[in-house]
Amino acid sequence: MDNLRRWWKPTALLILLAYPWIFRAPYYHVLGFNVMLFATMATSWNIMGGYTGYKSLGHSAFYGLGAYFVAIAANQLGWNPLVSAPFLALIVALVAVILGWIMLRTSGSAFVISTIAMLLIFRLTALNLREITKGAPGLSQPLPPWTPEFSRMPFYYYMVVWLIIALFVSWYIRRSRFGLGLVAIRDDEGKAEMVGVNTTLYKILAFGVSAYFVALCGGVWSYFTSHISPVFAFDIIVGVDMILMTMLGGLGTLWGPVLGAFILIPTSDLILFTFGSSTIYLAIIGVLMMVVIIFLPKGILPTIQQWIQDRRAPRAAHQGALSMAEMHGLTDDSPSVEEEIRHD
Amino acid sequence: MTELLSTKGISRRFGGIQAVQDCNISVQAGSITGLIGPNGSGKTTLFNLITGVYNPDNGQATFQGKQITGLSPSQICHEGLSRTFQITRLFWEMTVLENMIVPIRQVGLRSLLGPNMFKEEIDRAMVLLERVGLTHLKDELAGKLSFGQQKLLEFAAILMAKPTMVMLDEPAGGVNPTMIRFIMQLILELNQDNVTFLVVEHNMGVVMELCTHVIVMDQGTKLAEGAPEEIQANPAVLEAYLGN
Repeated sequence: MDNLRRWWKPTALLILLAYPWIFRAPYYHVLGFNVMLFATMATSWNIMGGYTGYKSLGHSAFYGLGAYFVAIAANQLGWNPLVSAPFLALIVALVAVILGWIMLRTSGSAFVISTIAMLLIFRLTALNLREITKGAPGLSQPLPPWTPEFSRMPFYYYMVVWLIIALFVSWYIRRSRFGLGLVAIRDDEGKAEMVGVNTTLYKILAFGVSAYFVALCGGVWSYFTSHISPVFAFDIIVGVDMILMTMLGGLGTLWGPVLGAFILIPTSDLILFTFGSSTIYLAIIGVLMMVVIIFLPKGILPTIQQWIQDRRAPRAAHQGALSMAEMHGLTDDSPSVEEEIRHD
Repeated sequence: MTELLSTKGISRRFGGIQAVQDCNISVQAGSITGLIGPNGSGKTTLFNLITGVYNPDNGQATFQGKQITGLSPSQICHEGLSRTFQITRLFWEMTVLENMIVPIRQVGLRSLLGPNMFKEEIDRAMVLLERVGLTHLKDELAGKLSFGQQKLLEFAAILMAKPTMVMLDEPAGGVNPTMIRFIMQLILELNQDNVTFLVVEHNMGVVMELCTHVIVMDQGTKLAEGAPEEIQANPAVLEAYLGN
């Protein structure tokens, strides 16, 4: 167990680095890139949706903004997308902070709806701001300069690096005081505010950070596909995918979103190849998700964790708690009804 | 004695109900002030108006000579005024220790980006947990504690913010007599350390024994105030409680 804990990360990294040389067909490079891209985005979404508990359905707005910023900068200023994306994503994060300042006055379903509205506004803007975005037909940008046989590999490695950075940021936030505040907000926002957490500031910052990596991914994707249009850049499915991956792997966990992307992207490709039609693929993914929600409501990682814990020490902790409390003479006679309700 | 907290003409209406009406109260520094009144008399609303959960329609609250009305609850907490809730509120998915750490005043980059717990903070938390007898449960999820333990944890956690004044909403509500004794003892000890208390409580035994001064509310406004013995003998108070 300890060996596993120590070695799995270096091993996983080695496999990731070797992957494009083992699977050399271009398709595998595209697949690898997509997995890295969505693992990064799901990790990023999780900072807001998982840690803070504010589930945005409109994160593809930042994806689209990143895509358009990078494409326009490449076309009009000649900026290399892989260099400009991390910087232009900062501007998108700033936009998210400003929008968050308005939108985060709502919570729960009102917040979710406001994020969808935000996405639609950007989509409409991209469709109609024809001088800049070229409207519905979309924008093309120069192809990468490297030779065709390597065409996807640089993208793949580029996203491996950014996935590691995103994971580091997510890990760092989770173990910081900032992250503790975010989890407090998820648990009970009113209480968090009452014990001194500046909830407004925390939520806005988390929203900005979670928009950053998504915007960056959008920028990289726009270079990768070389042609973007509003319908695909501001596609709600991209945002939904981030959520599904996170929920599948484990909402609010560090590795859950990554695991979800590693499972969901190849699975949808597999279904797509087996059944051909792109509509049946969506239907099957939908059924799979329902199965997950019913049987693994907490996601894969938390379920496994719970399972290991239960096997190791069944009820031991609880019994210990009771006997110590008895020593202090502090036990209640029976668990109260309120307690039962609260656990629901 | 000096005045620590006061409200001037504070009012709040919810739809057709005037929850608090032109209420003036004053809490002296170093006191344990009781706030009593029949159900629906506006005690909890007054708490919420003072701590910034609601904005008053009129009037304001002043704490340590500074107007706190209009500040956000977190800012008011940073001014040194903390509270507990009538129905215990904790971060259920967090451990006991994490629940202790969240209320520590969080400003500056070090506290935002540093590790979530510093050694000295853990030490301070452990001292407080020791005091309420929860040390052994520090890594347990707050949601798994018994009702009484949760109540103690909520109390201990707000002390991490080093408040000048603590507002308790029914500290003895729903807990057994042994625990009530324990909580009263705790309040008295903290009061010795110069923490001022404003306590909403329905258990009159507790109020009379604990408080140095009692304020009675009825129908959203202050009905009477005075020493516990005076209040017990006040006919207006008896009428408010028992009807005439």
